Amino acid sequence: MQLTSAEEGWRSTIAMATQSDAPPNSIHGKPLNPGSQVTEPTVDDGQNAKAETKKESSPTSVFVNSEPIREEQVQNAVKFLSHPNVRGSPVIYRRSFLERKGLTKEEIDEAFRRVPDQTPAATTTQPVATSQDGQIKAPSNIQQQAPIQTLQPAPAGSISKIGRFSCFHWSHALLAVGFLAVSGAGTAVFFKKSVIPRLKSWIRKVVLEEEGLQKKYKVKPSLAEEAAAAAKAAAAAAADVAQTSQEMLISKTEEKRRFEELISMINVQLREMKLMSNAIDKLEGRTHGRIPMEEQDDHRVSWTGLRQPYANGKVDADSRSVRSSSPSASVEPSVAPHPKSYMEIMAMIQRGEKPSNIREINDAPPNPNQPVPLPRLAPRPKPWDVGQVQSTLTNVIQSQESSNGVSHESKDNQLNGDDVVPWWQRKNVRITEIDTGDEQKFGSSNVVSNARPVQRSWVPPQPPPVAMPEAAAAIRQPKKSLLQKDQLTDEQSLARSADVNDELQRITKLSESGGAVEVNGGSSGLNSSEIQKEENNSHLEM
Amino acid sequence: MASSKELRERGTPFKIKLITTRSPPPNPNLRRDMPVFKTPFNGYSVKFSPFYESQLAVATSQNFGILGNGRLHVLQLNPTITEITSFDTADGVYDLCWSESHDSLLIAAVADGSLKIYDLSLPPTSNPIRSLHEHAREAHGVDFNTVRKDSFLSASWDDTVKLWTVDRPTSVRTFKEHAYCVYSAAWNPRHADVFASASGDCTVRIWDVREPGSTMILPAHEFEILSCDWNKYDDCIIATASVDKSIKVWDVRNYRVPVAVLNGHGYAVRKVKFSPHRMSAIASCSYDMTVCLWDYMVEDALIGRYDHHTEFAVGVDMSVLVEGLLASTGWDELVYVWQHGMDPRAP
Repeated sequence: MQLTSAEEGWRSTIAMATQSDAPPNSIHGKPLNPGSQVTEPTVDDGQNAKAETKKESSPTSVFVNSEPIREEQVQNAVKFLSHPNVRGSPVIYRRSFLERKGLTKEEIDEAFRRVPDQTPAATTTQPVATSQDGQIKAPSNIQQQAPIQTLQPAPAGSISKIGRFSCFHWSHALLAVGFLAVSGAGTAVFFKKSVIPRLKSWIRKVVLEEEGLQKKYKVKPSLAEEAAAAAKAAAAAAADVAQTSQEMLISKTEEKRRFEELISMINVQLREMKLMSNAIDKLEGRTHGRIPMEEQDDHRVSWTGLRQPYANGKVDADSRSVRSSSPSASVEPSVAPHPKSYMEIMAMIQRGEKPSNIREINDAPPNPNQPVPLPRLAPRPKPWDVGQVQSTLTNVIQSQESSNGVSHESKDNQLNGDDVVPWWQRKNVRITEIDTGDEQKFGSSNVVSNARPVQRSWVPPQPPPVAMPEAAAAIRQPKKSLLQKDQLTDEQSLARSADVNDELQRITKLSESGGAVEVNGGSSGLNSSEIQKEENNSHLEM
Repeated sequence: MASSKELRERGTPFKIKLITTRSPPPNPNLRRDMPVFKTPFNGYSVKFSPFYESQLAVATSQNFGILGNGRLHVLQLNPTITEITSFDTADGVYDLCWSESHDSLLIAAVADGSLKIYDLSLPPTSNPIRSLHEHAREAHGVDFNTVRKDSFLSASWDDTVKLWTVDRPTSVRTFKEHAYCVYSAAWNPRHADVFASASGDCTVRIWDVREPGSTMILPAHEFEILSCDWNKYDDCIIATASVDKSIKVWDVRNYRVPVAVLNGHGYAVRKVKFSPHRMSAIASCSYDMTVCLWDYMVEDALIGRYDHHTEFAVGVDMSVLVEGLLASTGWDELVYVWQHGMDPRAP
């Protein structure tokens, strides 16, 4: 979900804060534990497992956020969370918004902790203004703060000026001081009372207050006996009031702008809620029809956006031309034109009709307690687990699986003859024009060769394939050479497939326990099942 | 200007970097060899078997997955793409994964929120062997652990990710933190307990199953993130694909700034997959009907573009056992399997 005005508000709050989250991250991200982090990718699985057993707070796990809490981010979050509109939204959306802004869990939790609880307070003058900060009853409270705060000092200022004037008249000094105190208290009480009507329609009050203030200042001095002092005081007060009313106008326009922001925020939220309720309606009322939300433009596109005619898709063919290095012009995702029949089906669903081709299918398990079968095949090693040592041992696993596999009833590589390479393993030799550095890997007629040429993205380079299988066998442990002798004879390989399988499983277990000695001396992620992989290749090369 | 199709007919190598104009939709009946398979329903996901080079499975849903049945096809590639078996489901199948421990087990993520486990060694009448129904909404993604090979994850539109094992009837753990649909979950290829989840709340979360909550939050995109995948050769690199048409590659050690931003797709990128054989190669498919191959460490990252689909390309996979073998499926009800560098539509 998007809160665009909240985002704008967010951006303005962080405008003064120092930028670039990158420096703190780059400073703290690595040095915390450079040793384990730098060597992590090359460290074997065993050591990795040990590293992972440490707790989250430990810096040795790479998948943990090791940044310290950024104070300015927390403060921005507090400001965001203190916003009255935000307070009304569910907690999960507030958290989601902050997460999307890049705050870590710790920073978000800290911000939630810091946001004060809302308790309305009943006090006078200044406390009235500050407690209205905390009140959440009416959204217009925010607009009340500034004018109230600016008005509060105004009478105090005018009163002090009146006081200064009265000092010049010695004989009436005492009277003037007494009158000042009374008038000050009186205006304070009067202002408090006028706060309540302001709560209702504060815009109109600006004009009324100007008149009211002027009246007040004219009425109060008339209570005193010095008409001259009162007239001068009134003039000074009027000047002050004019000044403050100017300030009020400025703050009023400011508040208006913020108010509009808030209104648009509310509208956005309303729209989203409408979309949500629409979706819920459709889900509940219309036989479980599904609307793939990800095709909508961040929820701002209404449902009608889905009904784009399919013709648009054809016309836009050239817009899909290759843009290999240029960044996309606009980040705003456009809704991809859906197929025509998709639109028809969506329309049908929304009308409440069900497509006619749906059958009633019972896909429940016939026997929920059906025992899970035992694995018949040892897991095949992943290419990224296999080290760089290559050999051209014959393939036994390939033939083994061909005899065991359910799917290999018909021809298979082994049985067909070694020179028939399946079409899906055949590579196009003719491709040379394209980026040769990349294509050398794929373009050779030799299928799946692990003896890759040096690639700029493949570090370190591979040693050349071993020409003499026996030599490779000699390097390995005696146990394995027994295995390899079996594999060298093709005719016997099929017969011994079962034995070999057990052998391999045993050796797999041995190597997993760390018993394997590899030529490369590389990562102990290698296990002897890499032999299977190499056998694959060697078989195919034959 | 020579279109890519004309060049193919002349016999010159398939020029990948040409600006591709839309060729007429392929007619499967006209070709001698058929590296394409037509499914009755709209394709959603395709995955190669980790045990058999010539075996793969396709998840399909009727009526584009909006409302209708589903079907899971198991195909073999020898000699041409043919179906071994298929399983019908009451609701559409959005994703599937093969077991890494049992060569005959398949797990399907069904649109009614259930996960169904199928055993290919049993006849279709004995299947599925399990139906795990805990998600409150559609199950959109499944992924099997390739390190310990004992557990799998399900990502659902009910905002949660669940951890399961094949032998247990109930989930082991539920990870509930995302604020919106979780579209995809991916295990780390080297760390048995770490996985990432991509969600419509525009974040990717990294989790450790031993920890109560997520360990990292990557605000990777400004729009919904539809897919994520780890680099098989650098366990700290993760790629994310989003509705904003871009793929971003991140290093979790310095996740504030992406390592690379891959632009080139015309519409939302639906799926991203790191190559099991090349360290920096990424395959992606998009609603712009193309499958693209990228090398994120290169300045000009796009190294291949295949426009064989005539509707949204929704699923793509790279074979772990056969280097360079790609498969894709889309809403045009076709499954293509081809070798990188070749034209998917020609033998």
